[in-house]
Amino acid sequence: MCSCEEPRWGWGHCAPGPILLLSLLLAAPFGLLGEETRQVTLEVIPDSMGLPQNLLHIRAVGTNSTLHYVWSSLGPPAVLLVATNTPHSNLSVNWSRLLSPEPDGALMVLPKDSIQFSSALVFTRLFEFDSTNTSDVAAEPPGKPYPPYSLAEFSWNNISDSLDPATLSATFRGHPNQDPTRAFANGSLAFRVQAFSRSGRPAQPPRLLHTMDTCQLEVALVGASPRGNRSLFGLEVATLGQGPDCPSMQEQHSIDDEYAPAVFQLDQLLWGSLPSGFVQWRPVAFSQKQGGRESALPCQASPLHPTLAYPLPQSPIVRAFFGSHNNFCAFNLTFGASTGPGYWDQHYLSWSMLLGVGTPPVDAFSPLVLGIMAVALGAPGFMLLAGGLFLLLGPKRYSEYQPIN
Amino acid sequence: MEEEEEEARGLLADGPDEAGRDAPAVPGALPALCDPRRLAHRLLVLLLMCFLGFGSYFCYDNPAALQTQVKRDMQVNTTKFMLLYAWYSWPNVVLCFLGGFLIDRVFGIRWGTIIFSCFVCIGQVIFALGGIFNAFWLMEFGRFVFGIGGESLAVAQNTYAVSWFKGKELNLVFGLQLSMARIGSTVNMNLMGWLYSKVEASLGSAGHTTLGVTLMIGGITCILSLICALALAYLDQRAERILHKEQGKTGEVIKLTDVKDFSLPLWLIFIICVFYYVAVFPFIGLGKVFFIEKFGFSSQAASAINSVVYVISAPMSPIFGLMVDKTGKNIIWVLCAVVTTLASHMLLAFTLWNPWIAMSLLGLSYSLLACALWPMVAFVVPEHQLGTAYGFMQSIQNLGLAIISILAGMILDTRGYLFLEVFFIACVSLSLLAVVFLYLVNRARGGNLNYSARQREEMKLSHAE
Repeated sequence: MCSCEEPRWGWGHCAPGPILLLSLLLAAPFGLLGEETRQVTLEVIPDSMGLPQNLLHIRAVGTNSTLHYVWSSLGPPAVLLVATNTPHSNLSVNWSRLLSPEPDGALMVLPKDSIQFSSALVFTRLFEFDSTNTSDVAAEPPGKPYPPYSLAEFSWNNISDSLDPATLSATFRGHPNQDPTRAFANGSLAFRVQAFSRSGRPAQPPRLLHTMDTCQLEVALVGASPRGNRSLFGLEVATLGQGPDCPSMQEQHSIDDEYAPAVFQLDQLLWGSLPSGFVQWRPVAFSQKQGGRESALPCQASPLHPTLAYPLPQSPIVRAFFGSHNNFCAFNLTFGASTGPGYWDQHYLSWSMLLGVGTPPVDAFSPLVLGIMAVALGAPGFMLLAGGLFLLLGPKRYSEYQPIN
Repeated sequence: MEEEEEEARGLLADGPDEAGRDAPAVPGALPALCDPRRLAHRLLVLLLMCFLGFGSYFCYDNPAALQTQVKRDMQVNTTKFMLLYAWYSWPNVVLCFLGGFLIDRVFGIRWGTIIFSCFVCIGQVIFALGGIFNAFWLMEFGRFVFGIGGESLAVAQNTYAVSWFKGKELNLVFGLQLSMARIGSTVNMNLMGWLYSKVEASLGSAGHTTLGVTLMIGGITCILSLICALALAYLDQRAERILHKEQGKTGEVIKLTDVKDFSLPLWLIFIICVFYYVAVFPFIGLGKVFFIEKFGFSSQAASAINSVVYVISAPMSPIFGLMVDKTGKNIIWVLCAVVTTLASHMLLAFTLWNPWIAMSLLGLSYSLLACALWPMVAFVVPEHQLGTAYGFMQSIQNLGLAIISILAGMILDTRGYLFLEVFFIACVSLSLLAVVFLYLVNRARGGNLNYSARQREEMKLSHAE
């Protein structure tokens, strides 16, 4: 795509000028990428009876394109991303079919031929590991696994209550239907979804750069009782493969950690050649709400693997949009290590990712860094120049001391 | 730190001296090793002198070598971690003026050395106890006590060296002491992490107790240094008895009122010094984790590369010292050193190149700067103000180190390593600005700072006439 994929010993990819230019060049041929402005709206779609169902539709309309993000907690939490090349595309929902056991075709984005890209992410399981006797940080699995929580068997709150049109955000908050150990008696797993009407960065680390083409998901596990003293948690994420292959996972090394101190890596999931979707995250999670450096946990991502070997919980919205014949790929995220801070500190864990279509946002140096560098390098040079001129052209009062050589 | 002054004095001390030459013969022949007039005995003393400073240099960078462990076990952020370095520097803002006075007038060199060694030992023990009792404030207090002893001990070490070797092998001795200091730092960087893991294995778990025990074991080097101080005191007294030589003095006269007479070039030298060193020592203090996080080094490799500056400095300091002596042109050498350091920090900040390149450059430029910058003070200050000027230079250097250490920790916690590196670049750039300004002022005033060695000789001759 660009110099971003360079391995370790190259120049950092973050020189702002060329990248910006390159991304503009890359973006130009595709109508749906790099839109100047988008009208971003967020709505909860009520079912035919008017009963609240957790189906959240984020629609980002540009001059030549529309992006649709459909989030739902029918079944396991899942999101569809659909990019169309017209500003007039719409989402149509057939509720009776969607709630039936065979939801194929219940969700459609019309007109169908305007669809440029579509895919989905499903958050299937929450893992828990006992890391007590594990010293190897990169071990896979990172400890003795406990039985995982299936997110399909969670009950979720009504997102209409947490919908905030001002910040374009909504939160899916859930706990297991069956909770014999009462682990989630005081706890919950939350998926906070946020869309953006302008580009920028959130105040909370890891401060991923977002644009109007993207939406952010923050997963937070709060207050649930761990089953061991040193429990590590993990998340299984499934996605649709393109043909027989799985989407590719990239680790970008960058030199810029200004927005996420001490994190020099950006992980990306790319579905294929442009125009395509992407998932982007920093390999860091936090064990405190403030998200300072002292509460940063490493976040390991496994490679993507096909999931033919075992059945994944089905997501009705994915089946409703893509039909029943899909091959899924999955990867696991693991948060924390056996040493250092962890979920056990405050029973808090949060991790963020960015989901979008088009060219993934690329970090550039902040104006402050550029400003300091310009002054730091410019001032001595200028001084040398000015002083040199002064000495050359100025009065030569002390010339009698010079000609010793 | 103190060692630069050692170099400066080593380079300045070139007058032949006859101390002890006309001492009366000792009745009865002593074996060479026990005869203070023989080389063998002086070598023994030299060995003791080298190990006298070993403990304090070993323990100074203990926090850097155990950064991850300290932060994890004591549950502190980087800002608080860097306070360990700041607390070392605070007492020395004042003590740089007092060290020489205390040695000359109050304690004498022997007791002074022993007392400062005791401070170092006690400081390190308190530091370790802070770990064992899980009290970070106690660790900070330990570093404060350690700091009281550390820098003054270096002054005492110099005084011993002058007293025993003046007119003989003094420059070599200064060089060797300096190399030993670097070896102490290097061994610390590469040993402490390993030691921690061994202690962890034997105690069964990591934690503040493991940290405290590790630091306590590291404190053995300070005990070793204390033993050296005692042995030196004995040998020095014995030599005084046999040779009828006087007890060594630093000869430093500090007059704070001299400060108002300091010239513009001297102030510029101070600025160069402060802004240069604040971009080196705090960086090394934070370096290990930087190499782990940004370059993906293992803990051991990160320790090794973090000690490269010291490793290079050990052999290169004497070589560069000789080179600057032979060529003169100090400002140009300082300029080269500062520009190289700037380049090195830029490599670390803006590339993912193997940091061995940048750290080697930093090691070279650091050694070169020490050799070229510190002697310059002697060219712009009359001899009777030299003590005050060096004392002042070290004092504000320590002030700078204390403040910038805290700032560096805060920047790292909130803005990350890139911004920290940019901050260091800005510091080096200020230093560079001062060098350029110094060069221009020197040119415009026809000063002697940038004379070549030949010019200096000629000046000396014309003064003699």
